[in-house]
Amino acid sequence: MPNIDRREFLKLVGAGGVSVGAGFMLREANKDPREYLIPHVLAPEDFSSGLDTFYNSVCSMCPAGCGISVRTREGRAKKIEGNPAHPVSQGRLCTLGQAGLQALYNPDRLTAPMRRTGEGESASFEEITWEQGLKQVGDRLDLLRAARRGNRVAFLTQGVRGHLAQLFESFMRQLGSPRLLHYDFDHPHTLYAANQQFFGESRLPYYDLANTRLLLSFGADYLNNWISPVHHSLGFGESRQGRADVRGRFVQIEPRMSISGAAADEWIPAKPGTEGILALGLAHHIVAEGNYNGADLGAWTNALADYTPDAVAEQTGVPVNTITRLADSFVDTTPSLAIGGGAAGNHSNGVDTLVAVNALNYLVGNIGQEGGLVLNPEPAGPAVQQHRASYSAMVELAEAARQGEIDILIISGTNPVFTLPPAAEFAEALAQIPLVVSLSSFLDETTALADVILPSHTYLESWGDDFPEPGVGFSVGAVSQPVVSPLYNTRGTGDIILDLARRMGSSSVMPWQNMEEFLKYGWRRIYQRGDSQTLAQGFDAFWTSVLKAGAWGETTNGSTAFTLNPDVIAGIGVAPPEFSGSEEDYPFILHPYLSPNFHDGRGANLPWMQELPDPMTSVVYGSWVEVNPVTAEEMGLSEGDLVDIQSPHGQLRVPVFVYPAIMPNVIAIPIGQGHGEYGRYAKGRGVNPIEILSPLLEPITGNLASSATRVNLTPTGGRVKLVKTGGVSRDLGRDIVQHTSLGVEVSSAADNSIPITEVTT
Amino acid sequence: MNISIVPALKVLRPAAMLVIVILVGLVLGYWANATFVPGNSPEQPIAFSHKIHAGDNEVPCLYCHTQARRSPSAGVPAVSKCVGCHLEVATEKPQIRLLMSYWENREPIPWIKVHDLPDFVHFTHKRHVLANIECQTCHGPVETMDRITVSSRAVNGSAQVGHPWKMGLCLSCHRENEVVNGIDCLTCHK
Repeated sequence: MPNIDRREFLKLVGAGGVSVGAGFMLREANKDPREYLIPHVLAPEDFSSGLDTFYNSVCSMCPAGCGISVRTREGRAKKIEGNPAHPVSQGRLCTLGQAGLQALYNPDRLTAPMRRTGEGESASFEEITWEQGLKQVGDRLDLLRAARRGNRVAFLTQGVRGHLAQLFESFMRQLGSPRLLHYDFDHPHTLYAANQQFFGESRLPYYDLANTRLLLSFGADYLNNWISPVHHSLGFGESRQGRADVRGRFVQIEPRMSISGAAADEWIPAKPGTEGILALGLAHHIVAEGNYNGADLGAWTNALADYTPDAVAEQTGVPVNTITRLADSFVDTTPSLAIGGGAAGNHSNGVDTLVAVNALNYLVGNIGQEGGLVLNPEPAGPAVQQHRASYSAMVELAEAARQGEIDILIISGTNPVFTLPPAAEFAEALAQIPLVVSLSSFLDETTALADVILPSHTYLESWGDDFPEPGVGFSVGAVSQPVVSPLYNTRGTGDIILDLARRMGSSSVMPWQNMEEFLKYGWRRIYQRGDSQTLAQGFDAFWTSVLKAGAWGETTNGSTAFTLNPDVIAGIGVAPPEFSGSEEDYPFILHPYLSPNFHDGRGANLPWMQELPDPMTSVVYGSWVEVNPVTAEEMGLSEGDLVDIQSPHGQLRVPVFVYPAIMPNVIAIPIGQGHGEYGRYAKGRGVNPIEILSPLLEPITGNLASSATRVNLTPTGGRVKLVKTGGVSRDLGRDIVQHTSLGVEVSSAADNSIPITEVTT
Repeated sequence: MNISIVPALKVLRPAAMLVIVILVGLVLGYWANATFVPGNSPEQPIAFSHKIHAGDNEVPCLYCHTQARRSPSAGVPAVSKCVGCHLEVATEKPQIRLLMSYWENREPIPWIKVHDLPDFVHFTHKRHVLANIECQTCHGPVETMDRITVSSRAVNGSAQVGHPWKMGLCLSCHRENEVVNGIDCLTCHK
């Protein structure tokens, strides 16, 4: 043992003590951080921690009305999928529907009622209580109603169905106001009008894609945005691969290849607006070849006399042999089906075009046939009148506002400032209305101009129901139930309307305390129509089973018998389309199309949708204009070159994307970007082609002929790099990253068969 | 030249002593903490005794931890569950009064989590309860504890203290009971 002096000893004892303490603390620091187990105060009935709970509801991201099944855990929505029991979606769902979660959890949601303060540039919104907001609106409604001037109230909503539509209707009836408008940019007004003319009912039939063997689509992008894309995609898959011995054939007729065009067996570019003429050319050939033997053959022969293949080929740019070949196979293949819509319906001759498509179905006997066009029965939901507002109805509303005829405008779920061309002067008209009330969940372009914002729940937090139009050959209904508790200080649209009704003294007519109560009242009547077995179980059991299943159907089919009004035949004929702007000054036709990601722009605030590459071009985040390679070469343009696009009504600057599958004299811009408001993800990205559309109308419906604007293209010399997933320039042609996008692949594979350069206008 | 390290050692000896003492001290302190300060037995906001409930009064585990048989997590009973009995039972005890004050304020009791697995382990109570594994196998003799402490009755029967929840505990039991895919990595790490 070495000698240790006192000083040394004390040193060691001190060091030892400190190190023991350090070791102790080292262990202490290494322990897991403290976690807590916070129990509920009261055990909830509807969920257990650690377990998924699924709620069936209805998607509201687009008007298709798909059934959804939402996975929730500990009271939070986690995932949305299609509801397998719902006949429309059958367990599938599109990307926009999947992204509904980001509408719920969006950081830019309106979280409390607000009121505008200040004027003009200094205007801003201040938070108010619900009582303040509802009182401000309710008092003025009550005043107007008491003074019998309720017709000075206008209600503008997105297209709604079911009991919410009925609620809006009775609310406006209490005010005695006829100004209830359902406005959606993409509503197929011309299709309804064409069906009214041809079938005598303003409804959509069921297009039985699943059982058809040949589909001719005149401009309808049925796999992307047209009416019920999820259901059509299911039918498409079934038709292609679901049957052992048959493979359905799909032909797409449109000036710019859409997703449906890329999936088709044959893509035929006809000059924009001549789709109906082409349909009548086919009809002419069918009748001329003696393939139609109906009693009204003479009338048809007369009506179609002018549409000889040669004349039609001249007008549409589609070769004669293509016309006759299509017509022959349309007759020879049964069942076959022709559908029309989309851009083909958005021309000055839109209704006539779609009547012509119906005529084509009639001539080969597709109506009421499996694999053809099945007429739907009356929708099972509550009877509501049609309030569909076309472009001209919106212009009338704006005009009434400018005349000072409107004191209060209530806007719910629609964004006309974004989806109406500036020629409608809607924003200016809003400024003339003393009280604009928005029920939106987001601060979109229209809501930004409102005086009072009463923010509604998203569809995942509120009660509602939907009766999809078209049904699937029989009536379908589904109740939309809240899958999570409301995240913020918002209220359901129906609840707000019922509250306002109470405040204007209508509680005797509309006695329901909330939307849930009203829904149950309405569904009790549906229940009473049921069979004895349904009635025996009682309403509560019926209601629970409807909520559980997420779908309800009435298996009464529409009438299959159809007799054509002879007057219709004489009226058949499609005039050449009109365009706004002269061909000399504006050599190109603008083809605006609904973006697969954003629909009419409503999806632009969802980051998932922003970062999802466009299926045809693979571009993300932003806008582009699609230009044919031949045109691009003539003008010396390549990808990313900024061009100015000028129409008689406006100008946009947007980068070029060279797109092989578009006619040389057509350019296309997707709709959906170019928001000036609508939250951090949407704002200031890309351009909105609606801004340069000319206010050209289809005369019967007043529908905006949105595909009929002529434009010119001026290179600016500027260049940007398009953000896209394919084609990395840094690989210097070595093709290190193998890539393809749908559009380029399909058109290059079909280069030999598609006469892209032959078609001239 | 004759080089010796002895002079150097003589100089270094006090320093070497210091290093040795410090190292021994560190180990001692660490061990003392691990042994005598069971960090895995924290003081809870209410001195709830599993011994009184599960031991003396033989309340079944699943009476309160109702979800263990159908969910990955066993679940902590809602305050209302405690109150359900204690409106009548032992109402005068101070800890019960504390409980009732939470209840009257409609506040949850902030229990401190004792039994915890890392996030990369996928464990589900449901399977184990349905396979009739006793709760005590992993949670130790809870019915004897006034305050919950991590300990397990390991497979060889001897109680372990400290932190017994290592992978070996799972694996030895899975091996012994010949669980199908029981030692597959992806069974627990997925």
